Amino acid sequence: MLELLKYPFVQRALIAGSLISFCAAVLGVILVLKHYSLIGHGLSEIGFASLSIASALNIPAVVIATPSVIAASFVIMFVSQRYKTAGDIAIAIASSAALALGIIISSLGSASSGTSSYLFGSVLAVSEGDLIFSVVLSLIVLGAFIIFYDRFFLITYSEDYARSLGINTALYQLIISILTALVVVSGMRITGTLLISGVIILPAVTAGSLASGFKSLVILSGLVSLIAFIAGLMISFAFNIPAGAGVIGANTLILILVKILKLKIK
Amino acid sequence: MDLRLNLQNAVIKYEEKIIIDGVSITAGPGEMIFITGANGSGKSTLIKTIAGLLPLASGKIERAKKISYVPQVEEADRNFPARVKEIVMTGRQRPGKLFYTQRDKELVRDSMRELEIEDLSEHELKILSGGQLRRVMLARALCGLPDLLLLDEPCAGLDVESHKILFEALKKNLARGCAILMVTHDDSDLAGITSSRVINISNGRIL
Repeated sequence: MLELLKYPFVQRALIAGSLISFCAAVLGVILVLKHYSLIGHGLSEIGFASLSIASALNIPAVVIATPSVIAASFVIMFVSQRYKTAGDIAIAIASSAALALGIIISSLGSASSGTSSYLFGSVLAVSEGDLIFSVVLSLIVLGAFIIFYDRFFLITYSEDYARSLGINTALYQLIISILTALVVVSGMRITGTLLISGVIILPAVTAGSLASGFKSLVILSGLVSLIAFIAGLMISFAFNIPAGAGVIGANTLILILVKILKLKIK
Repeated sequence: MDLRLNLQNAVIKYEEKIIIDGVSITAGPGEMIFITGANGSGKSTLIKTIAGLLPLASGKIERAKKISYVPQVEEADRNFPARVKEIVMTGRQRPGKLFYTQRDKELVRDSMRELEIEDLSEHELKILSGGQLRRVMLARALCGLPDLLLLDEPCAGLDVESHKILFEALKKNLARGCAILMVTHDDSDLAGITSSRVINISNGRIL
């Protein structure tokens, strides 16, 4: 298995995937606690539609995907917050409509293999550019998380209380939306649009069963995700299955094991 | 005199229905105002609006910059993975300030000592009783050293001892110039601070 590490595409996938998985899981804590668990799924479908359009127009995918996913992320979070019960409806409508649009464009156009690799993920698809994008993105996400940690904690705990202190909660909502969108867009390359939401949500749920306090939850979520990604990538190589499926499989297995262990300890 | 609150002819609507109709309240430094009234009279809506959580349909409001608000029911999930100290610390957050200072930590410690919840500092939120959670919310509000303190039924769920501790803390804050507006249902609260005003709200108007 270690022999695989000498291949540049494996090295790129390992570095980019580890960084994105860690960042996704850190942000996932906020999304899970704020009951935005499905947002990753919705955004990835919108990302898929954007990629199909980019492919049809023959322009770089991130040029269309990044702004459209950021915009969608903000709209979904805004609707979820403003109309408490409408959040899941907004995600369901946006994701199914976007997926349909992506499939229509892919079918009508020159059905590039690029869009299908985005749908299911591919470690072979991680280019040098993707690797640089992942490193820069991770630095942005982790930097923002450190700088705004106390604010994110407050906003996640109680937006009403933050507003009563005069804090501009919409601004931090926007920052969280942008970070989430960036993680989704960069993560789609490896895990695929269909599975990126699992990379965001599963580690946070697993860590939630083990951690005590917000800070330990954030750190543990990132670590669980990192372990699951490396294990998942190895599984995908060993059994020749798509990386995204391997990573989500590893994440699910860890979650089940943690839950069983907790039950046994009780 | 610098007013901590100047609310003039406030009209507050909820889905086109008028909840508060033409209410005016002013509060100066060190002033204690109790807001009473029957269920559904609009007391909580009024205090939420003063806290900046609801908009005015018409009227004018001028508030002190440093406000602390204790809601009737904490919005957050009781299972939120946080320790008592972390929650109280949020009371020190202000716009434009991203990091806690040593002074913030000292004020949080003082506030927790004042409300006698120091021992709960490392406890997780989910294991607290209702009364303990209320004291945590009060400590969070007081550590912000507010100029205007807004309390929505802060005594609900408090035992006699906690009630006494709360009023001692409120007196100290009044003495340093903080104005306090407290929504209450309980007439015994009114005796807690003798030099106070009582505003009775009925059907959205001051009686």
